[in-house]
Amino acid sequence: MDMLASLLPAGVAYHAPVLIVIVPLIAAALAAFMPKGVWAWGVAMATSVIVAILAFGLLGQVGVHGAVSYDVGGWAPPHGIEIRLDNLNVPILILLGVLGVLSLVYALPSVADEIARKQQALFYSAFLVCFAGLIGVTVAGDAFNVFVFLEISSIATYTIIAMGVGKDRRALTASYNYLVLGTIGATFFVIGVGFLYMATGTLNMADMAAVLEQNGHNRVTQAAFAFIVVGLGLKAAMFPLHVWLPNAYAFAPNFVTVFLASTATKVAFYALVRFVFSIFHPEVAFVSMSFTWLFAVVGVVAMMVASVQAVFQTDARRLLAYSSVAQVGYMMLGLGMGTAAGLSAGLLHLMNHALMKGALFMALGAFALNFGVRQVKDLAGLGKTMPASAMAFTVAGLSLVGVPLTVGFTSKWYLVTAALERGWWWAVAALMISSLLALAYVARLLAAIWMENAPSHHGEAAQRRLAPWMMMVPMVILAAANVYFFFHADPLVGLARAAADAVMGGR
Amino acid sequence: MHTDLTQYLDYALIAMLLAVGIAIVRLRNLFAVVMLTGVYSLLSAAWFVSLDAVDVAFTEAAVGAGISTVLMLGAMLLTARESEPAGQKRHWAAFAVVAAAGAALFFAIPDMPVYGDPDSPANSYVGMEYMDRTPDEIAVPNVVTAVLASYRGYDTMGETVVVFSAALGVMLLLGFGTGRREEDEEDEL
Amino acid sequence: MSPHLILRIVSKLLIPLIVVFGFYVHFHGDFGPGGGFQAGVIIAVAVILYALIFGMDEARRAVPPVAVRYGAALGVLIYVGTGVLTLFMNGAGEPLNFLDYDALHPDQSHHTGQHYGILLVELGVLTTVTSVMLAIFYAFAGRVPDIKDEDW
Repeated sequence: MDMLASLLPAGVAYHAPVLIVIVPLIAAALAAFMPKGVWAWGVAMATSVIVAILAFGLLGQVGVHGAVSYDVGGWAPPHGIEIRLDNLNVPILILLGVLGVLSLVYALPSVADEIARKQQALFYSAFLVCFAGLIGVTVAGDAFNVFVFLEISSIATYTIIAMGVGKDRRALTASYNYLVLGTIGATFFVIGVGFLYMATGTLNMADMAAVLEQNGHNRVTQAAFAFIVVGLGLKAAMFPLHVWLPNAYAFAPNFVTVFLASTATKVAFYALVRFVFSIFHPEVAFVSMSFTWLFAVVGVVAMMVASVQAVFQTDARRLLAYSSVAQVGYMMLGLGMGTAAGLSAGLLHLMNHALMKGALFMALGAFALNFGVRQVKDLAGLGKTMPASAMAFTVAGLSLVGVPLTVGFTSKWYLVTAALERGWWWAVAALMISSLLALAYVARLLAAIWMENAPSHHGEAAQRRLAPWMMMVPMVILAAANVYFFFHADPLVGLARAAADAVMGGR
Repeated sequence: MHTDLTQYLDYALIAMLLAVGIAIVRLRNLFAVVMLTGVYSLLSAAWFVSLDAVDVAFTEAAVGAGISTVLMLGAMLLTARESEPAGQKRHWAAFAVVAAAGAALFFAIPDMPVYGDPDSPANSYVGMEYMDRTPDEIAVPNVVTAVLASYRGYDTMGETVVVFSAALGVMLLLGFGTGRREEDEEDEL
Repeated sequence: MSPHLILRIVSKLLIPLIVVFGFYVHFHGDFGPGGGFQAGVIIAVAVILYALIFGMDEARRAVPPVAVRYGAALGVLIYVGTGVLTLFMNGAGEPLNFLDYDALHPDQSHHTGQHYGILLVELGVLTTVTSVMLAIFYAFAGRVPDIKDEDW
């Protein structure tokens, strides 16, 4: 931690909380000026590296000094907007930084294949806007500021999903549906924030919490809670508000799916945790009731229903998208336990799931690049023609099931332990059944890849064709991380534990 | 106690807003719908004036009644003049969502502060402090500008980026019109 | 003889006034209602009116699409750049934060820096809003060959 804390020079370290937002914003505007897509990619790549370094520097600062607060404009809260970093949101920043770097390395060959050349610069610009928006949501210490950056990331996300139109025109309807639902979600969220302002007269999160603690809750704050949970739940793909997700992930450009699947819903889940735990108090009656009767229930239903839906999908990316909905269910279940152990297990699963789904979608993107395959049945024989990508896919797939020696096992283990601590046997049973369903759908993918022979064209078997190294390297790193963090679980478990303690106060 | 007569103006404006809103939903002629959305914005702008929110009214009039009407007309020229007749199918799920959201709003009403209550949190805490502090700290007469551009300037920066990303979406998905133009543009770049 | 003669002459008179009013709204934003956003919309409206009367090609010659594309990004750069400038202009000693406009001018008693900062960031808003409104208008209107007479 001390080493990380001294990672940044003093002047930069002081402004790091705001730099991590404005560097991608400046880069987004610069990328729009770039005459060539590759230059815009260079800008984006450099930006993600800077963001990752800033994130690690901030991790060190928070580790050494505790929560870090930055008053934008020099106005102290509640009059100005506060950027606030603590143990809960710094891990999310690390996730954004690292996955940003890895997915941008992956992006260059993938985007070159899928996006028209003259559109690439603007595409990277839109990606950077989305990236900045997600970071902005993560670092915000002000409720309305969360809304602003949520909108920034959402509008850019609709655009980059729709860019899948080059390969499949259904990307447009997928993006449009997400736009309509996302706008409704954003409206619900801002109504909730408005109600909170009506009840407290302030927009700063910490100040809101203080005023609410003093004045107590009433119908206005209860309605605010409902609207905020629905609004953020939609962004986080909380069942049954997930209906936008499968098509969005299935038809977006592969790079976009990789990035969104490993970051976007995670940031929304973080925001949900932040509102539920930091602003509303978990010991307030209606909040603690919502844990058991809302979050745990929708979590378990998602784990079951979405997993069953995944088993019957024919499109490989849709299959994994439904699996993502189920994984959000695991996180919701962890949140719903209402204990520090449960929340930290949910957050651990959040990070691990990013590692799994990142690698899985990267491999699917590589398959699509080389052979144009999208359907599960078309994956046949890829174990022979693209062995390295297929291996990475297999490792991450096993992690998704929760096989020992992978991180998927670690986070499910912590979830089961937390559920047992709470005496929730039904939740343990649900975890088991859902894992079996995961085994079923992952087995379908793996069977196609390894057991079947590649289709032969005109009597010739398909040739072995490796993915470009820029796609291979991040994919292999993520797959390896799935194994590495099983044996060295302490860093991630430590981050998740500290994150839960930050909002639960060690309860 | 002195009754505020402007509240009757507010009621009238809200009633008109409601009527226009229902008309927009019922009408199938898109030209009329676009025009009525302009009317809707103009009525809201008038209402905001009555609420003493002139900055908001100004924006609503310029954006809602002005430019977005023009843009919607442009979009209409690309598609159709009439929308297809509404199907006979009843969307019960959508109705349930709307009813639940409405019920939540009504549920909250009893605990809301009275309209115009000077002691309500929104009127007595940070909002009032902006009024007190702006002359000393920023020294501009328009407090709205002070809050928008300085106290909460970071939010306004975000809003600028939102507008920018809207442009990115339009440029990426629609280009700038005809194919010929786009080729010209590529030559220039 | 070109059609819509009265419209052409009246709008030729009006358009410069609309633009001037836009700038008035921008620079008077500290004192009365208005600011960069409203001003940006008003200036965009002037160009759109020009396009409606004189045709898209004329409007594209006056404000080329490339300018619109770069303008949208430039506005964001002006706004964020103002904030970055405040980070570097803290000559007085203690570090000032992002978007703390007091850094922009040493006269603290009248808060001249705040005035400068507000005008600068609003200029960024104006640039982006004008460009984006025109971008959307070009994207929609550019797809229709010409507005036919019966469509008026």
